Amino acid sequence: MARPTMSHSSSFLLPTTDSAAAAAYAVVVLNQRLPRFAPLLWNRARLRVCADGGANRVFDGMPELLPGEDPDEVRTRYKPDVIKGDMDSIRPEVKEYYSNLGAEIVDESHDQDTTDLHKCVSFITRNPPCSETSNLYILVLGALGGRFDHEMGNINVLYRFSNIRIVLLSDDCSIFLLPKTHSHEIHIERSIEGPHCGLIPMGAPSASTTTTGLRWNLDNTSMSYGGLISTSNIVEEETVRITSDSDLIWTISLRN
Amino acid sequence: MLGRAIRSMDVMVHSSTFLLPKLHQPGHTPAKNYALVVLNQNLPRFMPRLWTHAKLRICADGGANRIFDEMFQLTNEQDYERVRNRYIPEIIEGDMDSIRPEVKRFYSSQGSQISDKSHNQETTDLHKCISRIHRSTSDHEKTNLCVLVTGALGGRFDHEAANINILYLFSDMRIVLLSDDCLIRLLPKTHKHDIYIESSVEGPHCGLFPVGAPSGSTTTTGLKWNLSEAKMRFGSMISTSNIVHAEKVTVQSDADLLWTISLRNLT
Repeated sequence: MARPTMSHSSSFLLPTTDSAAAAAYAVVVLNQRLPRFAPLLWNRARLRVCADGGANRVFDGMPELLPGEDPDEVRTRYKPDVIKGDMDSIRPEVKEYYSNLGAEIVDESHDQDTTDLHKCVSFITRNPPCSETSNLYILVLGALGGRFDHEMGNINVLYRFSNIRIVLLSDDCSIFLLPKTHSHEIHIERSIEGPHCGLIPMGAPSASTTTTGLRWNLDNTSMSYGGLISTSNIVEEETVRITSDSDLIWTISLRN
Repeated sequence: MLGRAIRSMDVMVHSSTFLLPKLHQPGHTPAKNYALVVLNQNLPRFMPRLWTHAKLRICADGGANRIFDEMFQLTNEQDYERVRNRYIPEIIEGDMDSIRPEVKRFYSSQGSQISDKSHNQETTDLHKCISRIHRSTSDHEKTNLCVLVTGALGGRFDHEAANINILYLFSDMRIVLLSDDCLIRLLPKTHKHDIYIESSVEGPHCGLFPVGAPSGSTTTTGLKWNLSEAKMRFGSMISTSNIVHAEKVTVQSDADLLWTISLRNLT
């Protein structure tokens, strides 16, 4: 049975993009230092959500990333649409500042079963900024690094919402899920990403994965923790194709 | 350990005494020898105490740059050169494409063994360092050896994944990955685990992750949200943002699990 093909592209990281592009972006900011491309993604997004202390990061970090501009002006321009979470990390003055600017504050008590990212993704899927969620990309800043249990919880969100395109971004790399239900075509934007890449069978082994477009392609190869996982691979072609019997995490390095 | 027929499961005991300012021998664990492997990322702020506790220090390639550049600001010393001369790794190992020439010259002149493995591009620098330790340690010594690794987490995700895979590939060794924020260990399914919590330096946030394969049954004690023959799987439930609630946490599982615990602000 032939699987449908899913196409992926990181064109959202390009300095300029086709404004008529089909994709709609939502940005979620978690509580870690902003990556250098945060203003670019923020400007491109239709919906901006801060998870609790992520609001502190936007308040402090955006003026730092735009040093030539007046900090107050930057803060007013880069205002979140929604601040969601249990509000135990957001500074009171930051909460008040954004609230006065019209940000929706969605206060909720701590829920052990779901991470901040999970709550934000749920919120966005219930209030999507576009008519077709198949064109929606949720771009997440601050999901990697820091406390490892947070990072694992954030990666688990990719698995739990496998029908939604969610990309976790840091200064060094991006990661997203390749669900086993599809064959995947990843269009490489060489000016902003690569060449280092990897395929990680997080959560379950893969008995058979096949790729094209990499320096060390897999050919019906098994992968598992304790065995082979594909790391420090290199993208060689403009399109990388991947088919697997298992959900895989794709990762690619980001250029400076 | 792995070769013996096991009727009832052996218990593997873990503790983070290496994070304390001074090592002590808690009654429940045998004396541990520590080896330290330094990878090429910012040194954690508690690096000086790890260095002091370790009998063997290996810098993986650019990890030597980090010791050379960053150790001074982590100590209370005034004399830059004294610090530099004190923290000399026994071995510098790897493909040598990141270490700066002047750093390599300095440590070489101070007696560090430079182990140039640039001909071997098949394995990561961490893999080379752990392989070396594995080869030169007898099975008996392995039970008392704990390898501490800094700089393995964060940065490029494929590097982090490869470094975590080292824990699985060398599951007969105790290896701890450390960052400023947390530590990670592998809990092999072949053993029951007793994890003694040093609450002055670690906790309370913790988690358990079935990274390699799902778990059909995991049972814990000592956590705020204990598991009782629980299933865990990526795509479903994994234990994140848990809290240690006792001096000892026990874990028994049908799957290899990664254990993580947050680190307190250590200077």
